Amino acid sequence: MSRPVEATGLVKRFGDLTAVDGVDLHVDEGEIFAFLGPNGAGKSTTVRMLVTLLQPTAGSARVAGFDVVREAGAVRRAIGVALQDAAIDPMMTGNELLQLQAVLHGLPRSVVRRRGPELLERVGLTAAADRRVGTYSGGMRRRLDLALSLIHEPSVLFLDEPTTGLDPTSRQSLWEEVRRLNDDGTTVFLTTQYLEEADQLAGRLAIIDDGAIVREGAPATLKEAVGSPTLRVDVPAGQREVAHQVLLRFGPNRPCREGRVAVGLDGGAAQMAEVVRALDEASVRVDHLELDAPSLDDVFAEATGRRLEGATE
Amino acid sequence: MTTVTAIDDRSHLSTALDQMAELSARSIRNSLRNPSGYIPGLVFPLMLAAVYSAQFQRALGLPGFPEVDSFLDFILPASILQSVAFGATAAGADMALDIENGFFDRLLTSPVSRASILVGRLVGSAVEAALKFVVLLAIFLLFGASVKSGLPGVVVLMVVSLLLAIAIGGISLVLALRTGSQEAVNASFPLVFSTLFISSAFFPTELMNGWYQKVAEYNPVSWIINPVRRLVIEGWSWTDAATAIGLTATLGALTITWATFALRSRLRSL
Repeated sequence: MSRPVEATGLVKRFGDLTAVDGVDLHVDEGEIFAFLGPNGAGKSTTVRMLVTLLQPTAGSARVAGFDVVREAGAVRRAIGVALQDAAIDPMMTGNELLQLQAVLHGLPRSVVRRRGPELLERVGLTAAADRRVGTYSGGMRRRLDLALSLIHEPSVLFLDEPTTGLDPTSRQSLWEEVRRLNDDGTTVFLTTQYLEEADQLAGRLAIIDDGAIVREGAPATLKEAVGSPTLRVDVPAGQREVAHQVLLRFGPNRPCREGRVAVGLDGGAAQMAEVVRALDEASVRVDHLELDAPSLDDVFAEATGRRLEGATE
Repeated sequence: MTTVTAIDDRSHLSTALDQMAELSARSIRNSLRNPSGYIPGLVFPLMLAAVYSAQFQRALGLPGFPEVDSFLDFILPASILQSVAFGATAAGADMALDIENGFFDRLLTSPVSRASILVGRLVGSAVEAALKFVVLLAIFLLFGASVKSGLPGVVVLMVVSLLLAIAIGGISLVLALRTGSQEAVNASFPLVFSTLFISSAFFPTELMNGWYQKVAEYNPVSWIINPVRRLVIEGWSWTDAATAIGLTATLGALTITWATFALRSRLRSL
């Protein structure tokens, strides 16, 4: 039995630009796999190769057991896809789109009549089903897009940045839906630039940066690998250098927001008293101080030397 | 084993036909929901016909002008084909919009038959052309125009309208697939416009002179318009009917083939 997604040495070049530079990844049956990375890291390009929209420059991939180049038709029949920005024709109604999507997948009309209302109910769009999609909110469009991608009961579902641009409530409800789908046995491959999304949903994740995977594993395992918690200290601008020197005695530097200093605290929380004394001895005035268990942001920072843009600190 | 394949093939075909029907329905429905798309295509040719027939009524007496009852009769085929031609460029503009906003990708990630992506658009153009044809012909007849060759002539005019819609729709699809930009497709509009005007569509080439006359005489639009117009103002002729239909059908076949290659090369280049 082959895995739902298996890619080896995937490369995609556009002219001189190498968007994806040798990606190996796999997704196991029944898991939610998150592909985490900043904008332009190569997430979408990778997904577009996996869903047969782009042909790899090198390497190969199998999805649902079929080769994405040689057996593209079989791959398309097996997968559900919701691409970035929910590309939905604004002139059509929700019902019309469901009907069209079903026909595109070669399903008989009886299936649409049965599954259509079921899916709309599921994503909470029953009342809006006969309205033109142009009148929908961003969250409604994403939920409709999700319903559309499920009409043919795919075994693998690809979601490309499913919650980018959504408000927190809409995001939560989409997450719940993805979890429920996964509980029902659907394998999910999602890309995201949100740490929290990967943390909340993924059983396993890969971090991609500059076209290559830099970390891969379960969120908990990755965080453990970072080890020490991160200590962040706010000090007046003039004292930042001194404070940094003091802190580096307790652990390695960690990237952080401008105007702060941060280190990995090797000795953990037990060392806090010692740190405060040392700062005091160096006459550093501490405005604010916090200690956080390792987060995916730390994992990302450790792997790339940068913080993920927009990450909460 | 053979039987299984046969059934499989048939269901394959019926699936593809289903997809073509659904995508065609989408094109037509969306056009109908967007009156600002088709209203100018109806109103403009009518206004032009009204202005021209007022302006050029006396031109009918000029030596070299074909014998007609009214300028309205003379301009009828041109007005209808003008409306149809402008409307048909929407096929490409709409497909370019699909490419721009990502709907095209939705189609491509599904196992839809690739041919139905083109057919859906072209059938949409043809149906829109048929509707315009009926509306415009009714208005012209109401204002006293007449078709000398009667019903057979009307049928030929209708078939030519549909084929022309498909031919021009095909070119606009090529532009859409090549550029992926709605702006680029719309930029072709003036080209269609001037091609139509530098032809015998609105005035007989016999009364033109210089390079303008030369261009108008060699313009394929004139080759299509002239026989169609003779059906309207002179009467039935098998040769004229066959010429008009043959030319537009050939043009249509050419542009569809071109569009098919454009789709293929777009899919390959991804």
